[in-house]
Amino acid sequence: MPKVLRLNKSAEEGLRELLRFLLESGKVKGVFALAPTDDNGGAVYSLITNLDTLEKASPLFPLMPANAAKMLSRLTLVEPATKPIAAVVRPCELRALTELIKRSQGSLDNLLLISSTCGGAYPLKMAVTGNIKEKLPSYWEAVKKAEIAPDIRPACAACEHFVPYNADMTVALVGNKDVDKQCAVYLNTDKGEQFASGISGELAEGEVASEAIEGLRSKREARAKELFDELGVNKGFDVKKVFEKCIGCRGCSKICPVCYCHVCFFDSGGDEHEPSYYETALERDGYGQILPDPIFYQLVRLFHVSLSCVGCGLCADVCPVNIPLWAVALKTGGSVQESFGYLPGRDLEEELPITAFKPEEFAAVVD
Amino acid sequence: MVSPIKGAVFTAEGSTREIILAFIKQALGKDCFDAVLIPAKAPEGDSFSYLLIQNETILKDAHPICPIMPVQGAKALHSLTGRGKGKKRIAALLRPCEVRATVELFKLGQVDLENISLISIDCPGALPLADWVEDPQKAETVFLEVLKGEASESLRPVCQICDKFSTTGAEDLHIGTLGAKSGSIFLIPRSPKGEGILEKVGLPAKEDISGWEQTVNSLTEKRKGERKKFLEEFKSKATGLDNLLDTFSKCINCHNCMRVCPICYCRQCFFDSANMKFTCEDYLDRAETMGGLRLPPETLLFHIGRMLHMSLSCVSCGACEDACPTSVPVAQVFSLVGNKNQEEFDYVPGKSLDEPPPLRVYEEEEFEEVEQSCAGTSAKQEAQNA
Repeated sequence: MPKVLRLNKSAEEGLRELLRFLLESGKVKGVFALAPTDDNGGAVYSLITNLDTLEKASPLFPLMPANAAKMLSRLTLVEPATKPIAAVVRPCELRALTELIKRSQGSLDNLLLISSTCGGAYPLKMAVTGNIKEKLPSYWEAVKKAEIAPDIRPACAACEHFVPYNADMTVALVGNKDVDKQCAVYLNTDKGEQFASGISGELAEGEVASEAIEGLRSKREARAKELFDELGVNKGFDVKKVFEKCIGCRGCSKICPVCYCHVCFFDSGGDEHEPSYYETALERDGYGQILPDPIFYQLVRLFHVSLSCVGCGLCADVCPVNIPLWAVALKTGGSVQESFGYLPGRDLEEELPITAFKPEEFAAVVD
Repeated sequence: MVSPIKGAVFTAEGSTREIILAFIKQALGKDCFDAVLIPAKAPEGDSFSYLLIQNETILKDAHPICPIMPVQGAKALHSLTGRGKGKKRIAALLRPCEVRATVELFKLGQVDLENISLISIDCPGALPLADWVEDPQKAETVFLEVLKGEASESLRPVCQICDKFSTTGAEDLHIGTLGAKSGSIFLIPRSPKGEGILEKVGLPAKEDISGWEQTVNSLTEKRKGERKKFLEEFKSKATGLDNLLDTFSKCINCHNCMRVCPICYCRQCFFDSANMKFTCEDYLDRAETMGGLRLPPETLLFHIGRMLHMSLSCVSCGACEDACPTSVPVAQVFSLVGNKNQEEFDYVPGKSLDEPPPLRVYEEEEFEEVEQSCAGTSAKQEAQNA
């Protein structure tokens, strides 16, 4: 049974106290967490080294302005962290980070990974219109009751993996009735215990509220089905229909934590055509589609990322023409992963299926 | 005294769109060109994209005056001719800002115009992409109002203050719709290529079109005034370090603005390159200096870098702002900075194919005040060092 640290403060206050303790005691040199950019509900990830700045951080703010995995990869790509950093990330971000580490895009050295049972995040557009703050009471109410918070992103409402894998510490949010009075931090690893030792608070043994977790999981499963029904994608996608609106900005690739190529195929000139390509199309069909070719682009991207896609939904959030990319990712990624019996980000030791040769797999295809 | 512009009047049945398409059909029939590059409605009807059309029956889906700008036309021409010219002669129907961006890309060696005829149209402006995405049917209704000269406040901010909505002079042929009698459009040749097209369709440019010219001129003057006023007001809100940081505070570094910009043509952006990857130690140092480091870092630097790279060629087309997922007024900032930089060099991007980009030209006499202040600074430095 893991150890649990209880602090008599709200979850966010308690977490901030823990981070303050880590920074002040010199156990970590930096804290990676969300911090507000304004009073209207804007927030960004920040690397914080100073106690005053930490006071302003809001590590549990329900917004995902970037996928933290992408940021942590950026911090540790050239070389591993040389000094300890505590990073507060969502479960899907942690999963994406695990995938990036498997793909040699960063290092976990000197990172203390703190996550939470996640209630989900609001759409990025809400940070622009500035009405997240007024929604916070209903958000925390839903988290307490282990319900789906109203108006959170569809990717979050449909997410079943809201309990973190591989976190050194987990802040219990979902189903925690006292989330505004008490902060419970589960210390999942020796590393988690070592870093927490010395902080004043009650230390006990305990399990995350599994009944509430299961309850929310089945609610979200049902919601996922509803959302897929609404989009008419339960049986698959009509790619022409779904991607028709795409303007080729490729924001979905740029912000995707798993799309890590340093030069994208679509920047390499690989998708460009000689004039003869268009001339052939003209002769054959009487017309030709001019780049960007959204279907080709989107399919290639799916082909590249679907094994490691964690369904974080950021692609849909940044799409200027509202393509439900979260559903495409979840549905396609889900079935690809299922066919390999692979869950991205579950375990660092679990080999990427395409790098592992198994003589007996996909016999049907081989035949 | 410049002799007045002459044009031809083309008449046909139907809406302006149908008249333009009738002209294109006729020109295709008379072998003026082999195919036309033109926005067309996508099969599901909720979007537009550039199609290269040879077949007359497909032409009926074309929308030369499109309510939105999902892809900048210069970018489409770059896709088509970036690898060199083809065998087919192609007419590209573009908005004036798309023609201008094409001209800039030509100067930068990114398009081949040898077999291309550039045809521009009096542009009513475009609606914000987000409004279209939200409710295409409603947007279509609003756009019908726009075509009647109303509801201009529903256009994209940069379209509302556009003073280059008509012929730029760099195209081969211009289609005038302003002040045209119902059932007609003006065809104004702007190059020997354009004259050739009109000759082939049997419509020599002999008509007096001063009515159109006057309408264009008076709207241009009005828009110039509005542009100046708008940019002055915007300047007070967006310049200075604090305002600039505030304006870009919602930027999430998705680079959508760069990706859709017709001028930003680098294959690998500097900001995606190894030059911008630093060690963790470096990030921690920066965080310590400032108390905290925002991640992704260098979001404002990206915009300033992009500005330095392309603002002399920026045609204020607004594609960047349309593509921004967090509603940063990118196009307004770039219009402001672009205008200022272009004025300094007395350069109008896209005005002429022959005018070299200012940074390629050495002029002994320019920017003396900058030179002097630099000389002053170095003299001061020398004195201090001495």
